[in-house]
Amino acid sequence: MSYKPGVCTFCGTGCAHLLKTDNGSVDGVFPVQNHPVSRGRLCVRGWNIHELLNTPERITTPLVKKDGALVPASYDEAIGVLVKGLADRKANAAEEIAVLASPRSSNEENYLLTRLARSVWGTNNITLDSDSGHRNSLDVLAAGTGMAGMTGSLEELRSCEYVLVAGIDITKQNPIIGSEIHYAVRSGATLVTVDSRKTQIARLSTSFLQARPGSNKIVYAAMAKILIEENLVDFDFLKKHNDGFEGFANSLGALRDEDISAKTGVSMDAIRAAARGLAAAKSAMVFFSSGISGLDADTISYIYNLFLIAGKVGRPGCGVNPIAGINNLQGGYDMGVAPDLLSGFRPITDAKAASAVSAAWGAPISAKPGRGVHELLESGASKLTALIVVDHDEGIVRHAERIKTIPFVAYIGAYKNPFMEYATVVLPIATYIEDDCTFTNTERRVQLSKKKADAPSGVLPGWKLLSAIAEKSGSKWSYASSAAVMDEIAKITPTYAGISHAKLEGTFGMQWPCDAKNPKGTARLSIEASKTFTFAPVSGSFEVPKPTGDFPSLLMIGKAQHFWHQNNIMRKTSIPLREYNTTLLLYPDGYVDITADEAKAAGVRDGWPVNVVSAKGSMRVQARVTDEVGPGAAYVPYFIQEMISEFLLENVDILKLGEDATIPVRIEKV
Amino acid sequence: MYLIKKSDVLRLAEELGKTHDLYGPFMEPATKQAMFERVGKAADIDLAAPIPALPPKHALLPHYEKILAYSYDKKTQKVDLAPIYDDRPKALFGVRPCDLTGILCLDRFFLGQEFLDEVYKYHRKNLFIVSQTCVAPFKQCFCVCCDGGPAASEGYDLNLTDLGDTYLVEAGSEKGKKLAEAMGLAAADAKHQAEKTRRIDKCITLFDSVATDNKAWISRVMNRVTTGFIDEAVWEYIGNQCFECGACSFVCPTCSCFNIVDLPRKNGGAHESDRVRTWDSCSYEGYTREAGGHNPRKPVEDRRNKRFFCKLSYSQSKKYLRPGCVGCGRCQWVCPGDIGLPNVVTYIRREIHS
Repeated sequence: MSYKPGVCTFCGTGCAHLLKTDNGSVDGVFPVQNHPVSRGRLCVRGWNIHELLNTPERITTPLVKKDGALVPASYDEAIGVLVKGLADRKANAAEEIAVLASPRSSNEENYLLTRLARSVWGTNNITLDSDSGHRNSLDVLAAGTGMAGMTGSLEELRSCEYVLVAGIDITKQNPIIGSEIHYAVRSGATLVTVDSRKTQIARLSTSFLQARPGSNKIVYAAMAKILIEENLVDFDFLKKHNDGFEGFANSLGALRDEDISAKTGVSMDAIRAAARGLAAAKSAMVFFSSGISGLDADTISYIYNLFLIAGKVGRPGCGVNPIAGINNLQGGYDMGVAPDLLSGFRPITDAKAASAVSAAWGAPISAKPGRGVHELLESGASKLTALIVVDHDEGIVRHAERIKTIPFVAYIGAYKNPFMEYATVVLPIATYIEDDCTFTNTERRVQLSKKKADAPSGVLPGWKLLSAIAEKSGSKWSYASSAAVMDEIAKITPTYAGISHAKLEGTFGMQWPCDAKNPKGTARLSIEASKTFTFAPVSGSFEVPKPTGDFPSLLMIGKAQHFWHQNNIMRKTSIPLREYNTTLLLYPDGYVDITADEAKAAGVRDGWPVNVVSAKGSMRVQARVTDEVGPGAAYVPYFIQEMISEFLLENVDILKLGEDATIPVRIEKV
Repeated sequence: MYLIKKSDVLRLAEELGKTHDLYGPFMEPATKQAMFERVGKAADIDLAAPIPALPPKHALLPHYEKILAYSYDKKTQKVDLAPIYDDRPKALFGVRPCDLTGILCLDRFFLGQEFLDEVYKYHRKNLFIVSQTCVAPFKQCFCVCCDGGPAASEGYDLNLTDLGDTYLVEAGSEKGKKLAEAMGLAAADAKHQAEKTRRIDKCITLFDSVATDNKAWISRVMNRVTTGFIDEAVWEYIGNQCFECGACSFVCPTCSCFNIVDLPRKNGGAHESDRVRTWDSCSYEGYTREAGGHNPRKPVEDRRNKRFFCKLSYSQSKKYLRPGCVGCGRCQWVCPGDIGLPNVVTYIRREIHS
């Protein structure tokens, strides 16, 4: 009986798996049929996770930089280097120290990392890597509903009558959620996909609205406008549960009917049918992306407001669902890994919450929000001198030039990573199968993953290492196990109050809020629990990017098949790596998707090199001729080549605008 | 033919366990999922467990297996190549007929063609198979559509049939017979054989009411698949639903495709590596890509086409001496699309009718 149950840690779906762990090696993986979300399925990543867990590319000993080279050291020595490096900067910690945390770390690790940063090192500059998109979603939902997470439940998806896929390539990013959507469609649900790219889920849709790049928001606003004009608004629902409808309705006046099709390229008939379908359905869910290329807050606000006026929030089978691409992105925010948050998504300026946290930690914490790590790295004016990085996920180190100039860099992680090159000190930790730990999936489901294998000789689990660092810094923590860490999280985090390892054991997880009122957790936001839903403020601006004569195509940036951007862990596998390389070998310089017409106009064929030229710079990639993009659009996956990254960094201000942001370019034959 | 009391049947497993690594079906306690895996002791085996989630294929073709150790001595320029063969005696106890049929297909692939697979041969060498007749189908079963069950007709050392209070024990090999004799089992007679037949017939009649998830009229589509006259649009319809996860291949009792990769040895020296063989799948794009860069089956629908050609075409069936599908229904369980083999058969039949 060597198959032991656990949680897959690739994406935010949180599928259950059984790992075959014999003799210290992981020799196979198998799906779990009774898990309420994954129901006996895994994706290409999940089916090959043992290849990652068997990789020889582990960090197995602490390393300290001496004479320019990293040399093995004892934990004691390496921790000493880290502690001293940070103690030297303590006086000015809020300016000088920053922590780049990982959306892959467990809840326990991330919680302790915030404790270290805030109460021991004295900085609130702590950020989750790949932060932007999910934070926008959580801000909108927390302000509107009081729930800083997906309001729906994946278990209810199969019985949902209407699904709106809002620009997420979900069968690639979170395949098993894509599978549940497909199941709902096969059972009779209506599936409407709004996207600028014809993704797999678009092909499987009842209706696909291919909006021009940068105009997706207008489709959602137009749907809302149609519901109001045709009197399809759920007035009963709004009367009882809303705040701000009139303001939102008025703001839609700026959207003129005659502009809608012209700006989006989608026919009014199709948008009208999609809106009517939403109103007619008893239940409806919307899914949108929430990772490094998540949507901007304004688009999320329109989507959320659309669902409010349709009365599709807080009811059975309904949900506004931001989907986390990385396994514990949601959990990271739950643990307060952000410059301005405490655990449970409470602002650090909340004096009552802060005093409870500081009492539990036995140390004061600053109420002044810190700054994001990427912001500090981008800003030439920041006084950053020490950077602590945990389990970096990307193969490319963003801001590498700047990081080289930072005198003190520490890397904490299980697997080797390019970040180690910049590190003064490297501290290994155990992987998720080498200790008990919890992860929170995209639908707020907190799941326990039990220890199944021993860490390489002497390597500590994250909570033990962080405790040892605290101790050497003069703060004695007294956790006996990672379960004890969760007990403390429960004590000071209202949404996690009823969660413990003991309660999670033998279950497929519990969805927060889990407290005295909801001892078994909360599958879905319910009308009863949250009396008023507030409309999200919106910009009222319906500008779309306009291609010019010099730059006639709008370039989108997204994730490539099977992989998230420069995924460091995927490169430590064999079969997923091969799949990655298959694309790479066809397009060794990376690729840009263009239509056949566009290719013809540029005089190129599939695989030919082209220059993608923007006002700020250009990059040379290969053309991939496809029907996935529409006319006047181009798409480049954010992956592999350094030069693509450089090109994107030159346009970083545009990238920050979110997933639907575009860069005007022209495609030139080389 | 012999008889053994139901309460004693695990004594057979216990006896085998003395000389073999014992594998069998059981309910995994944390997930309440039926698995077929190595057990600690005979008493862990639960013959009444539903059809296991995974076939016993992994005992012969593990998901991830080191098959060669390589080391290179830089000074002496000496290379050491040591094949790793696993010939531990293994007893598979309580194998379902469909899964046994799957093992026979694997035998014909790995041992019965022009290339003999040494690694598989060693796994197979000391294998003892105890199959069990299915006296009732499960929800997703369709073995009756493709002659994969509900009773085994060949390939076992011993076969068990539940007759109520007793099991009928049939020997299919000399070593099976030897074990039954050594255990001093009582002899069965024609009456018991007739009871077995009655129970198999009963099982077949139960498919209509119990095995409601899947049907697959394989013989009807074999001609279409073999001749390749299926409309492209049907394959596109199927391809659009493929999530390229590989699950159908991994759970299939007859799928034999594998990948070979040389990896630096974990905790090994600079010049030590292991050759690893892992399950692979025709649903992966990289699987069919050739070294020169050409990919004869690049679009996903072409890769799906290949899978069902392998399972259902006449030319492929000549190699297995039967269709490549045994009717276990697992591919329909694990598919994130909706293109398990029974559905694909339906789509092709739909096209025939239109």
